[in-house]
Amino acid sequence: MTNLALSGALLLTLIAVATPAASGSPATENKSCLRCHAMATLAYRDPGTGDIVDLAVNPHALSHSVHGEIDCIDCHEGDFGRYPHPADAANETLSCVGCHEKDDTKDDTKDDTKDNIARFKSIDAEYAESVHATSDSAEAEGFSCHSCHDPHGFRASQVGEEIAAIVRDDNQVCLSCHEKVRDPLSDPHAWLPNREKHWNAVRCLDCHTPLSDNGKTVSHQVLKAEDSNRDCVNCHSRESSLLNRLYQYRSEEDLATKGWLNKAVFNDAYVVGMSRNATLDLLGLIVTGLTLLVLAAHGFGRYKAYQRTKGKPE
Amino acid sequence: MNALYLYSGWVRAWHWLNALLFLVLILSGASMHFAGAGWLLNFEIARPIHNVAGILVTIGWIGFVIGNLVTDNGRHYRVRLRGFFQRLFSQMRYYGYGIFQNEPHPFHPSAEMKLNTLQQLSYLGVMYLLMPVLILSGWAFLFSIYLPETLFGLGSVWVVAMTHLTVAYFLALFVLVHLYIITTGETLTSNLRAMITGWHREPDLETQPRSETQG
Repeated sequence: MTNLALSGALLLTLIAVATPAASGSPATENKSCLRCHAMATLAYRDPGTGDIVDLAVNPHALSHSVHGEIDCIDCHEGDFGRYPHPADAANETLSCVGCHEKDDTKDDTKDDTKDNIARFKSIDAEYAESVHATSDSAEAEGFSCHSCHDPHGFRASQVGEEIAAIVRDDNQVCLSCHEKVRDPLSDPHAWLPNREKHWNAVRCLDCHTPLSDNGKTVSHQVLKAEDSNRDCVNCHSRESSLLNRLYQYRSEEDLATKGWLNKAVFNDAYVVGMSRNATLDLLGLIVTGLTLLVLAAHGFGRYKAYQRTKGKPE
Repeated sequence: MNALYLYSGWVRAWHWLNALLFLVLILSGASMHFAGAGWLLNFEIARPIHNVAGILVTIGWIGFVIGNLVTDNGRHYRVRLRGFFQRLFSQMRYYGYGIFQNEPHPFHPSAEMKLNTLQQLSYLGVMYLLMPVLILSGWAFLFSIYLPETLFGLGSVWVVAMTHLTVAYFLALFVLVHLYIITTGETLTSNLRAMITGWHREPDLETQPRSETQG
């Protein structure tokens, strides 16, 4: 019963701290909630399962997240205005769809990412196909949006941020579960040339999702390892949209952070093999080789002519 | 007049700077294009070298065009139509046949006309057609975000890359032929010396084996 005792002690502390807010009118502002929930250690042990339930919200991450400008109570519609929160408030259904649903009054063909609100309809369809949804593995059980996207911290990357940082943060989401992926003894990426460079420069998702059109968000259809992109050419040559997307994004980012001269000199976005084209290369090398042969033959002919004049009496 | 001052200081300075940059660009460009092949520069090193040389070649090209506008060097690039084909064919015939018969050069440079017709055409093509395309496609690589997403229905970056590559192959061919043609002067090195000193020397000033073929 230590658990209960601990929880009790925690609750008592909370009551002491939260009393002023509780005594006033129902809290409608984030700061009323964050008075308690900003504490990094705020948690309780679920008496049913024995799991620690984390109740802390990082206020800095929240204010910088995609949800930074909306109020706690816009999503958490339960009866949280009073403290202690009533027991049934915990059974709240989050009203995500209030914002994230496709608006039927608007054009159906409208871009998902317009007005910057991810609409769940197409994401749902993509996710339903993803390995996270279709896997029979016990580890995939209970997988939800929140397994990857922390609604209190999730934010889209912005042009101007360092690519390496974006890639690192993004991949960290995957690696927090897929811990063994980078185990050198069982590395499924052993086939990948310049593995470390790839890991520092591209996101897991860039190879592990099907290609999406330019300007669209990355698909939520996360692929199985065996279905993922292993074809170097998809990034490293031809008019692939993935190459275009990465190159243009990195170019934009280079320009924004380094200025045009640095961009012109270093062009960090340049990917090995961008200019590669088997047909043109073959043609170019054949023509160059033939030219060299013709020049050599020409030179030889001139040498012969020169020898004739030498042998000829003046 | 046996010696002609054909290549003024700025033309020679530009020429040799451009020649150096061409070599650097070909080497660093091949290193990026064929990255991974053993005998090339490291990709990370080749990239800034190629870009810096590209910027300098752009400045050089602009200087060349301005120089041709403000000095009288530009007149050598004005095609004279009178006797054009006759001059062109006699030059082609010389390289294809006469040179093996120890015939005299069909063309004698003068202060008014230092380039033979074939030379003139190839330089016009290189400096006023291929070079602008090469330079523009090079800059388009760097600032591709200002391009539309697609060009002619294909991804812009790919169109730019293929244009740059094709023109680069043409110019590498030009360099090969150019290097060889240098040796077809009165002696193997007389053309080379002319571009170093600026002076073109007619054969009777030189002691060289083919002097008896001069008419």
